[in-house]
Amino acid sequence: MKELISSVKKDYLLGLALQGKRVDGRALDQYREVSVERGVIGTAQGSALVKLGNTQVMVGVKLQKGEPFPDTPTSGILVVNAELLPLASPTFEPGPPNEDAIELARVVDRAIRESQMIDLEKLCIKEGEEVWAVFIDIYVLDHDGNLIDASVLASVAALYDVKPPVSEEWTLPEFPVSKKPVAVTVVKLNGVMMVDACLEEENIAEARLTISTLEDGSICAMQKGGSGFFEREELEKAYELARKCGEELRKKL
Amino acid sequence: MLFVGNRELVVPGKLLAEGDYFAGEGTFIEDGKVFSAVVGLTEIREKNVSVISLQGRYIPRRGDRVIGIVTDTHPYGWTLDLNSPYTGNLMASELAGRKVDVFREDISKLLKTGDAVLAEVKEVDERWRVQLSVGERGLGKIREGRLVEISPAKVPRVIGRKGSMLKILQDTTGCRLEVGLNGRILIRGKDPAKVNEVVEAILLIEREAHLSGLTDKIKARLEGKK
Amino acid sequence: METGKPERLIVNGRRLDGRRPDELRPLRIKAGVLKRADGSAYIELGKNKILAAVYGPKEMHPRHLQQSDVAVLRCRYNMAPFSVEERKRPGPDRRSMEISKVIREALEPVLFLHLYPRAVIDVFIEILQADAGTRTAGITAASVALADAGIPMRDLVTGVSAGKVDGTVVLDLMKEEDQWGEADMPVAVMPRKKRITLLQMDGNFTPEEFRQALDLAFKGIDLIYEAQKEALREKYLPSLEEEK
Repeated sequence: MKELISSVKKDYLLGLALQGKRVDGRALDQYREVSVERGVIGTAQGSALVKLGNTQVMVGVKLQKGEPFPDTPTSGILVVNAELLPLASPTFEPGPPNEDAIELARVVDRAIRESQMIDLEKLCIKEGEEVWAVFIDIYVLDHDGNLIDASVLASVAALYDVKPPVSEEWTLPEFPVSKKPVAVTVVKLNGVMMVDACLEEENIAEARLTISTLEDGSICAMQKGGSGFFEREELEKAYELARKCGEELRKKL
Repeated sequence: MLFVGNRELVVPGKLLAEGDYFAGEGTFIEDGKVFSAVVGLTEIREKNVSVISLQGRYIPRRGDRVIGIVTDTHPYGWTLDLNSPYTGNLMASELAGRKVDVFREDISKLLKTGDAVLAEVKEVDERWRVQLSVGERGLGKIREGRLVEISPAKVPRVIGRKGSMLKILQDTTGCRLEVGLNGRILIRGKDPAKVNEVVEAILLIEREAHLSGLTDKIKARLEGKK
Repeated sequence: METGKPERLIVNGRRLDGRRPDELRPLRIKAGVLKRADGSAYIELGKNKILAAVYGPKEMHPRHLQQSDVAVLRCRYNMAPFSVEERKRPGPDRRSMEISKVIREALEPVLFLHLYPRAVIDVFIEILQADAGTRTAGITAASVALADAGIPMRDLVTGVSAGKVDGTVVLDLMKEEDQWGEADMPVAVMPRKKRITLLQMDGNFTPEEFRQALDLAFKGIDLIYEAQKEALREKYLPSLEEEK
């Protein structure tokens, strides 16, 4: 289901963008108020609730024993699932994950997997037979734009919140995480690039680009979305925004 | 007998009155007693007991002025979203003010999806089909201005008793407002800064609709900015 | 990790968490916690953490499911994968579908569905963390969310569970009692007139135990009802207090 926007409102937002302004008065490179709360769900090994303005995303991390993939017999498993809960938006319908939910899960998955923030090799119990599987469940509770950045932030926070399971097969002193990947999504509105789009901005954006970076400024994952396009120079601009805003977001972890 | 005072915050199921009282808006009758059906503030006018809801969807009523957004074109006109469970229907002939030959004319030239329209509810039938009219002057397609959406339950506060709040919003800023009872408000003004002030004021009214003294507060705020 | 059945669930008149048989777990209800939803509420009861949201009344799609003279009420009870010890696969299962149905039937009686023909009212209940009694706590939150959405109601609906543990009738079962006890009875009621809109039971009760359980449930419901009303008032009251 698509969101309804009047052309009067659309024209207003596009006009503002050309002046370098935004509907809520933010700067183009400014995020809304960010809050990260850890340990919100006791039944999960790790959890976090992230608020980005009015957007709210909850992530639960659960560790379970499982079989390794045949081609990586000593490696733990990472599974990321996202639910766009119908209670989060009138446009989300109940049912199995649609392409938006699947894209969200896979983008978060890549940010975490490619950054190698979890040392999956340390999660082996018995080579070829049993390993620890890390399930990251993303629960979108309230949708006011920029679900990707909120979901990556909540997932990383939840991973750092993990208390290892009480189990004989757990031999490590703690959960093996290092590094902190952060995703920054830049949208293009009437040719103007801005970060952390709220819902209204997201609905009229031509395209979006998510860049996940690490502390050293290296890029571990990228995803372009939307049916518009980016020029080469715009990619450079997007990376700069991702690196700068990423640093600020990382402080919240 | 009355069990509540005026402007008292009540919740659904609250016993309001027993005996010789009329059940007004936001209430229902059970066993001859009047109860509140919603979360809201009581309003007691002589023997009439009502509860003014602090939330709720817009339900179209004949004569209401509304701002709709076109969602669909059909052979004889358009379907408009009214921020309500019920959509509105606007006939092409109604908008054009004359007979329209739908096979010869391209009515999307008149109005297309996404356009906002200031209209009046002409009729609501027993199946809740809503017919809109734009006959009166000033109604029709909205071409310019700033559109704000608030909860329909708070719109009466933006208008104020006998239009008092509306008068303040317009007189102190020099902007013109068209208030849709369905929660959509159009603001037109030459000075974008003044338009912004009106938007801020409206959002404040929405947040504090349940408090008294709001009219004075808004007046002071807008006059202070002169 | 699996823990076996504790030897006794009640010792010296105290349950595993120190409660007496007629005591409720700590309760917290908040109204209007989500921005997008028309109405919402959050409840914590013991370790339960439950979010309820309401959308509507709104246009019903697909058209052929519309009812010409009344609004349709749709309920979805869903558990988060991380809400229980053993991760639950996302998506509805038979248990949550049955629960969704009985919840809908518990809420329908208070609504004036004839006021909104052809429309639909959607109620979503998400269990973020489960600790027994989720369906009744879900109903409690859902009715606050319905009121929060401005939907006219005859009364709120309040739910609680009662049961039997070590031969003693108790109020508001916790997880271990639900798992190892002798009877579990969720109840939901329109509190003003104590009209019962949800009643289920599994286990074993003598008729006398059933009456005792219902008495306990009604007592619990009175307390929870106060908390529901307070949650709705609290949304507006702090500012009304400032007025004075």
